[in-house]
Amino acid sequence: MSEPTGRTIVLDGDEVAFERGETLFQVAERHRKEIPTLCYDDRLEAFGGCRLCVVELEGARNPVASCTTKAEPGMRVTTKSGKLEMHRRVLLEMVVSENREVVVDELSGYASQEMKTLVDRYDAQTGRFAGKQSGVSHPDDPNPFILRDYDNCISCYRCVRVCAEQEGDYAISIMNRGFDTQITTEFGGLLKDSSCTFCGQCVQTCPTGALGDMKALRFAEVEKPVEKTRSICPYCGVGCAVDIMTKGDQVVGIQPAMDGPANEGALCVKGQFAFDFVHHPDRLKTPFVRDDHGQLVPASWDEALDKAASGLLEAVNEHGRHSLYAVASGRAPNEAGYTLQKLVRAGLGTSYIDNCSRA
Amino acid sequence: MLPNNDELIAQAKTEEAPLLPLLHKLHERDGYLSEHALRAVSKGLRIPIADLFGTITFYHHFAREEGGFEAPRVCTGPICSLRGAHDLVAGLEGATGMPCSGRCDEPIPVIRGGQTLVGMSVDALAVRETPAPPAKQGDYEECVFAHIRDADRKTLDGYRLTGGYAALERAVTSMTPEALIGLIDESGLAGRGGAGFPTGRKWRAVAEADGGPKTVVCNADEGEPGCFKDRALMDHDPHAVLEGMALACFATGAPRAFLYLRYEYPETEHLLSEAIAEAEAAGILGDDVFGTGTEIRIYMRRGAGAYICGEETSLLNSLEGEHPFPRNRPPYPVTHGYEGTPTAVNNVETLSSVPPIIVHGAEWYRNLGLGSHAGTKVISLSGDVARPGNYEVPIGLPLSTLIEEWAGGIPNGRTLKAVTMAGLSGGFLAGDDLDVTLDEPSIRSKGSFLGAGGVMVFDDSRDMIEISHMAMEFFAEESCGKCFPCRIGTQRLTERLAGKSGPEDLEAWLDEVNDLNTTMKETSACGLGQAAPLITESLLKYFPDAVQTHVAGD
Ligand SMILES: Cc1cc2nc3c(=O)[nH]c(=O)nc-3n(C[C@H](O)[C@H](O)[C@H](O)COP(=O)(O)O)c2cc1C
Ligand code: SF4
Ligand code: SF4
Ligand code: SF4
Ligand code: FES
Repeated sequence: MSEPTGRTIVLDGDEVAFERGETLFQVAERHRKEIPTLCYDDRLEAFGGCRLCVVELEGARNPVASCTTKAEPGMRVTTKSGKLEMHRRVLLEMVVSENREVVVDELSGYASQEMKTLVDRYDAQTGRFAGKQSGVSHPDDPNPFILRDYDNCISCYRCVRVCAEQEGDYAISIMNRGFDTQITTEFGGLLKDSSCTFCGQCVQTCPTGALGDMKALRFAEVEKPVEKTRSICPYCGVGCAVDIMTKGDQVVGIQPAMDGPANEGALCVKGQFAFDFVHHPDRLKTPFVRDDHGQLVPASWDEALDKAASGLLEAVNEHGRHSLYAVASGRAPNEAGYTLQKLVRAGLGTSYIDNCSRA
Repeated sequence: MLPNNDELIAQAKTEEAPLLPLLHKLHERDGYLSEHALRAVSKGLRIPIADLFGTITFYHHFAREEGGFEAPRVCTGPICSLRGAHDLVAGLEGATGMPCSGRCDEPIPVIRGGQTLVGMSVDALAVRETPAPPAKQGDYEECVFAHIRDADRKTLDGYRLTGGYAALERAVTSMTPEALIGLIDESGLAGRGGAGFPTGRKWRAVAEADGGPKTVVCNADEGEPGCFKDRALMDHDPHAVLEGMALACFATGAPRAFLYLRYEYPETEHLLSEAIAEAEAAGILGDDVFGTGTEIRIYMRRGAGAYICGEETSLLNSLEGEHPFPRNRPPYPVTHGYEGTPTAVNNVETLSSVPPIIVHGAEWYRNLGLGSHAGTKVISLSGDVARPGNYEVPIGLPLSTLIEEWAGGIPNGRTLKAVTMAGLSGGFLAGDDLDVTLDEPSIRSKGSFLGAGGVMVFDDSRDMIEISHMAMEFFAEESCGKCFPCRIGTQRLTERLAGKSGPEDLEAWLDEVNDLNTTMKETSACGLGQAAPLITESLLKYFPDAVQTHVAGD
């Protein structure tokens, strides 16, 4: 093996290049080292709390956290060894011991299976280190969106950090210290009385399901596999990528796409939680037209389309093409929105088209 | 009339590091931190209210209920607990415990509002001055204590009469910062706050770092149980601390310095504030130091009860009004410290050593140590010794000389069972390992360290499991909660030492405790979590029989 030159480190015996400012974790990630983490979310500033990502660095007294250690030329790093795997298993056994449960429904949130996956990988659910549990749940927070089940919280603070760093809302914070640490809002109040916008980002980054998507969890009992379909949130022009979760024909929830170019895992309350209309009993399933008394009555598609066409043409003929203005519903499928603007621009000849999320 | 929120906030906005002083003013004015006041602070200083609320709850002493500020807090640190502190808590109305509050050489301290009382029982509580160091022992020359017992040393005039501020005057009028740093380098002075980093090297790193203004911080948080040396230095020789800070400023090119004082020393705050004002009035500090045009301003900032705020990066976060978790290093404070500026953080004792070194020379200081060791160290000795107190020892002095000859040995016909090192952070030494000399190489060879120099002495009547439990409980209460190994590990070890949970089978018990020890030591993010397991490790090493009996539940 040659001595490292320039901007390289020796990673598990191989000389590899790195970019200025890259952390050891990022370099290792690129080389598929599969270093375990729990407090890490690559959208957030590295925090260094869980210590699962420790690696051996030649010359350092103790292993170092790879997520917070910047690569420096000539470093010699080992990402896997008996000692490191021992530390990782013990750390996992420790966090398991502070929680009520490890297994949570995958509908809880995007990252909700992270802890369980690592616990399985390290065979760490051993019942060791039994003792007091940390965190106090708020089953009484009456909001309809976010489950606050802190009995399962491992104090990784991803929720607090995502709320501050990604969302800029600073709705939640860290109360007390040590084992008494608790995720809180201002003065320990309810989420609805805080500056929370219910964007759900904290839910999606929580690695244990302590924060859970309550709307999705309504379907936890449905015994069908969850399927995800990539789409774009229709509510506004940002174009946030989402994965629509379905069980059979039922839409059960929405998860932000972490690789969505416009949103990188972010959503707002509408994109995240406002999907109930899809299966709502009040939703219209056939067209309606007004009868001679002005009453809406069910009609066939042909009947309805004819009526709409004649009405629109009448308006154009009488008042000109710019007398019309169309507004697409944010709850319509993207395809319908596209068709409407085509009709308005090409068919009716006006550019007066908008969407309700903007108008 | 008391100032209202708007007035206090308007004033705070013009100050450096404004959050803590503002909160203290509100705390004292209202007797607690009300929701109303906190909302005003949040708005005025533009700190999100959830963050501000969370940060307030981090500190032990900020009361959130009316009247909380005046409620008595009794020291329930290890030494005071052994002297009956819990009876005092029970006997005093509304009293709660607090961690070791740095008066282990006195009867039990009680803080009520802005005042410290000491006494062994409810009726005997009285205001008393911090004890001065006991009379000099042995034939060794002292450095920081050389003049501390002189009359009037506390006043500016008294200090100057015994040569005070001559070093600063000489430095600013006839030395270059480089020469000053070179002198400190040669003297071999190393940090006395625990980590022992060479002071000259630290200063040079700050002096040479890009960016500014540079900052000096005097670390007077002294939260380590069994350490009370910085209190003695500040209370009996306040100008020496200020002179040391000013010299650090001159060396590093810093126009400003903060003295971060622990909450539990309320009298010290007044004393030092007065000393700063006196020195400024005399043209020794301020914007024209000794008429040279050099600016050196010293600001007092008081903590609010958190041991971790003695860790330098946590301290910096606390000063800045952030949540006081330690920061990830690198970068270190010497390049990225207070508000991102190059910062020298130094302990009180380290800084107090600087003026005499400049007066007497590097060679002189170096030779104060025994053998190859440079300089002196103040040891805070407490517990089962005839004469507890602060002793300035030449580095390398045998521990037995200090305990037996200087401090009068173990009283009541008892024998020495164990001592702690570095306050609690170094764990215990016992048996043959008591045969150490007071220097890092000797103590580290036993798996411990000298650190800040707190030594608690326990005689053969003491229950080491109980003491270990108190020690671990301290670390659990003070763990900041940032990293998993320490947050969970200190809790699990405390539970196991309390006999509350953990395996009943000895082998399984040891297996768990050993794994906790190792993983905490090697993966914790800062010194607290790395050091806490030295308690359990040394307990297992020296007192395996006691552990066996404990696990068996006898
Ligand atoms: C948990 C913890 C607590 C500490 N508490 C103190 C303290 O109270 N006072 C102090 O001077 N240093 C304390 N330190 C050490 C500081 O981080 C830092 O090393 C020191 O202030 C540097 O000053 P020095 O070089 O003059 O010793 C503590 C360190 C740790 C890890
Ligand atoms: S839902 Fe959004 S705004 Fe509310 S706490 Fe979570 S991250 Fe913050
Ligand atoms: S609630 Fe979830 S994301 Fe937040 S600190 Fe707890 S485990 Fe981490
Ligand atoms: S070791 Fe303890 S005190 Fe230090 S960062 Fe970790 S939790 Fe905080
Ligand atoms: S991922 Fe590095 S400490 Fe958690």
